[in-house]
Amino acid sequence: MNSESDGIQEQTEGQYVDLRRIALLESIRNEDQTWEKLAPRWCVTNPEPPWKVCLDATCDCLSAGGALDNLERRHAEDELEAVYSAIPNPERQLLTLAHIMLSRGLLTEEELARQISTVRARLEAL
Amino acid sequence: MAKTPKDGGHDHSEDHGHDHSAAPMVDEISDFEILELAVRELAIEKGLFTAEDHRAFSEWNDARSPAAGARMVAKAWTDPAYRARVFADPLAASKEVGVDWSEPSGFGTTSDYMHLTVLEDTPTLHHVIVCTLCSCYPRPLLGHSPYWYRAPNYRRRIVRWPREVLAEFGLIIPPEVELRVEDSNAKSRFMVLPVRPEGTEGWTEEQLAEIVTRDCMIGIALPKPGRTTDGPRPIHKASRPVHSGGRPREAAQ
Repeated sequence: MNSESDGIQEQTEGQYVDLRRIALLESIRNEDQTWEKLAPRWCVTNPEPPWKVCLDATCDCLSAGGALDNLERRHAEDELEAVYSAIPNPERQLLTLAHIMLSRGLLTEEELARQISTVRARLEAL
Repeated sequence: MAKTPKDGGHDHSEDHGHDHSAAPMVDEISDFEILELAVRELAIEKGLFTAEDHRAFSEWNDARSPAAGARMVAKAWTDPAYRARVFADPLAASKEVGVDWSEPSGFGTTSDYMHLTVLEDTPTLHHVIVCTLCSCYPRPLLGHSPYWYRAPNYRRRIVRWPREVLAEFGLIIPPEVELRVEDSNAKSRFMVLPVRPEGTEGWTEEQLAEIVTRDCMIGIALPKPGRTTDGPRPIHKASRPVHSGGRPREAAQ
């Protein structure tokens, strides 16, 4: 969605990951909802969002199961730094993980979009 | 050290792992929270890992903090026999402060290989750790690495200009003190055992552990009485895009 705008990224192919922007992830780059913005808005002092622990566990599980080796993921994260540089961590780490999984075919954009809708409906049901 | 809720989220005065006090909640569902859950659920649905695996790793991750490393350092400062064990058999010494490197799988995690070296600082020798390859870090003892530690900028520059980079962190190492940068490799983890500072004579292990922060065990800060937290650190961008160099370009095809 914002693919024509910020952070000109001429290189489109890294050694570890396809660096082209992904429309679905571009639509999620809501900077007003990063923990950096959310936490002070709700007077919360935790330096990390609650989901950070789950994100780290997902990375560990993917590596332990052989689907995405931690070292390869870190190399790909480095390569994607410029693509997501406008987003702070840990949101950047999350977007990067999703980007790597999509570009490596572990997930498809359609599947992820559908699951996002499902999760959103569930969380916002009450 | 009064802690107020409206501090912009930057008061870490009780937050180097010793405290999990109740805090106000964010009553707002964010897109990122939804994305994390969606990615995880899809991965489970596709059989990339199980929900049980995820629960085990989440609990393990949640239990990690620099407090364990701080206990190790404080104990080494007060117990010479334990100090000797820290260098002779760091994994066994870790167990004595409640950290079993074989958890949660029985052989550790895939990124926390069970090989640890504790680096002994002296009045004439200072250590600092890095992982130039990626972000290898002694997670069982120190919890998760800070983002600046993972950033290519730190990883590239600390090995080239260590004194200058430490100075940027506010740590001036006198020229007469030797400085060693230990680069973690894929299988080795390092942790710094700093020099016990003056002014702590007669302190208990608990008191000493309070001043051993994460940054002291990385080597970008020194413990001192009254300093119990690590301030926020800047994350500098790399001046050039990253080309990891982990495998030849032609091998990518």
